[in-house]
Amino acid sequence: MAEKSERPCGLAINLRSISPTEDSSGSCDSISDTPSQPPSSPLKSKPENVRMFRRSNRTIYTAGRPPWYDSQGQLKEPFVIGLCGGSASGKTTVANKIIEQLGVPWVSMLSLDSFYKVLTQEQHEAANRNEYNFDHPDSFDADLAAMVLKKLKEGKSVQVPIYDFKSHARLEQKHDLYGANVIIFEGIMAFAYKELRDLMDMKVFVDADPDVRLARRLKRDIAERQRDLVGVLQQYNKFVKPAFDQYIAPTVVYADIVVPRGGENSVAIDLIIRHVRNQLEQVLPMAFRAQLRSAHQGQPLPSSLSIVESTPQVRGLHSIIRNEEASRDDFIFYSKRLMRILIEHALSLLPFTKNVVTTMEGTKYEGRKFDGKRLCGVSILRAGETMEPALESVVKDIRVGKILIQTNEYTSEPELHYHRLPKGINDDHVLLMDATVATGAAGVHTIAYAYPKVKIVTAEVDPEVNDKFHIIPGIVSGRMRRILMMVYHEGISEIDISEQQFTKWTEFIPQGKN
Amino acid sequence: MPELLAKGRKDTQEESLDRARGEKCSVGMENGVAPSDEKPPNHLQEFGPQLKIIKINEQVRELQTIIRDRETERGDFVFYADRLIRLVVEEGLNQLPYESCSVKTPTGAMYEGLAFQRGNCGVSIMRSGEAMEKGLRDCCRSIRIGKILIKVNEETKTPMVYYAKFPPGMEQRRVLLMYPLLSVELVLKKFPSVTILTSEVLSDCPSSFGQRYFGTD
Repeated sequence: MAEKSERPCGLAINLRSISPTEDSSGSCDSISDTPSQPPSSPLKSKPENVRMFRRSNRTIYTAGRPPWYDSQGQLKEPFVIGLCGGSASGKTTVANKIIEQLGVPWVSMLSLDSFYKVLTQEQHEAANRNEYNFDHPDSFDADLAAMVLKKLKEGKSVQVPIYDFKSHARLEQKHDLYGANVIIFEGIMAFAYKELRDLMDMKVFVDADPDVRLARRLKRDIAERQRDLVGVLQQYNKFVKPAFDQYIAPTVVYADIVVPRGGENSVAIDLIIRHVRNQLEQVLPMAFRAQLRSAHQGQPLPSSLSIVESTPQVRGLHSIIRNEEASRDDFIFYSKRLMRILIEHALSLLPFTKNVVTTMEGTKYEGRKFDGKRLCGVSILRAGETMEPALESVVKDIRVGKILIQTNEYTSEPELHYHRLPKGINDDHVLLMDATVATGAAGVHTIAYAYPKVKIVTAEVDPEVNDKFHIIPGIVSGRMRRILMMVYHEGISEIDISEQQFTKWTEFIPQGKN
Repeated sequence: MPELLAKGRKDTQEESLDRARGEKCSVGMENGVAPSDEKPPNHLQEFGPQLKIIKINEQVRELQTIIRDRETERGDFVFYADRLIRLVVEEGLNQLPYESCSVKTPTGAMYEGLAFQRGNCGVSIMRSGEAMEKGLRDCCRSIRIGKILIKVNEETKTPMVYYAKFPPGMEQRRVLLMYPLLSVELVLKKFPSVTILTSEVLSDCPSSFGQRYFGTD
């Protein structure tokens, strides 16, 4: 494995070609001449070319991320495939074929190579003399790898270290990797640690004839890396072969499936695909929106829902906003007023504590103050953004994040495309803003059921949803504005939510096609 | 409102308005508004239905606290006073007459709503009352707003109307008379046909709203 010291830097998984059409020996050079598909804006991309969208070498997904939880708010645990096998055995080819044939959006690849231990000065020098054994279980930080994989499995975003093979240390920057529907974890020692094995739902051992593997290595190292035959053989005999015999080959006993002949074995790969698909269908129910609509029908509105008092003014505002003859100018003006009333109402639901102040006259005044660390807003593009001015005019200097969720025209499922959230949102009280909840009362029920700690604040709830998911009586059908709505989430820290998780429940508010 | 104004012209008492029981952000209004089921707290019931208090929640209490706090900087004072004023104005608008109406929504369904009647106006009492004009204007883009300036005559030591400008047809209009602090007791004694809407009734009278809001002496 000493050839790794020649890599300019980096995350092994980043350097590997993921394209099944390319040479899949895992060489870093093959990537440079891979004309990567342009990561055209996910907003504009057509469904047909989005299905296997590629932005980096690590993730293949549709334009956005579909829900990773079911309509009860339970996380759909991703399926983890462990891939183990000797150096140059064809692990990457197998991984690519799995990704390609699965056709499942959001597959993440994680490589054990990212978790090489940081070397001491002595070890670093030995490595430079090709005398450090990278092919040993002790050279990997398995605890860290297990922690990262575990978090990924919980649907949380993780930071994957980037190992620099020049300095044999981790770079300061890290790679953000988000949870996925399928996670492929690969590495020569992938099965060598129990804590990692326990996290894998399926363990695949890629086996290739030792002669074939040596031939591949020779070809790769000599032809592509200008190394001499003697050096490569020396390294092979000293580290690579003993390591395989001693640590890698025995782990085949943990494998569920052994794939002989590596990536060329299309029958074996086909079997794997079938099995994974089968498993995924059980854990990833589709028709998310239809489920939302049918769930909780005919029940009284949940207690976590708070509706603005229906004063004459509020009803008057609704009458103007909902009127199909309302001019755009009136629509904007009066919805702004309603939003301000809504936000004032939402703020009144925050926790407060007693606060005694001294007045200008010198007397004491017993009042209240906000009893929380901070407040921030998150608007759901695009309709949610219209509420930002109202929020900003009521809360001074509020930080506002954004989330973009769009409907996949093919599947009619909501997909997460973009999110930028204020730092430290875990500690904040968050006002999540959207102008309407397309699924109406059903959506409100679902949010309340799946996320009981989320307070929902709205100006009005329309009772019915028709089969086109249009709310009756509705607001503006052309733009699908149905109920004026704001969701408000209290005490995120209590459920220790990561940014990624935080966004997940926002998808209960599917966006209309604006 | 003509009554109130007519009387006011003769014997408005700015001094006394600011004295005794002070209250914040009052919207004085002619009576004849929709009756409210809400009753003020016990000690205020002596004023009867002529005194209304906006819905108080902890958020409103926080606003009131910030405005009373002498440590509050002027920028914050103005910001939070504006917020409180807006809440009072919104509630004030609720007191105006309306009629039911149904509108057709873009989905084709009917929405049973209501429409407010026209023919209202605002009058601010200079100078502190002007602080409330913005709140009213932000809610009603085209509402007519008049002004009254009352000062104590140096010679006679009595308050006098120095200046008054009203929208046409005043006698036909419902008037939202705006002033941030005034004495509930005195006003209601003099003008029993007026409804007062406020956010808080205090036993100790805060002073200097105008000074802090406008940054003047």
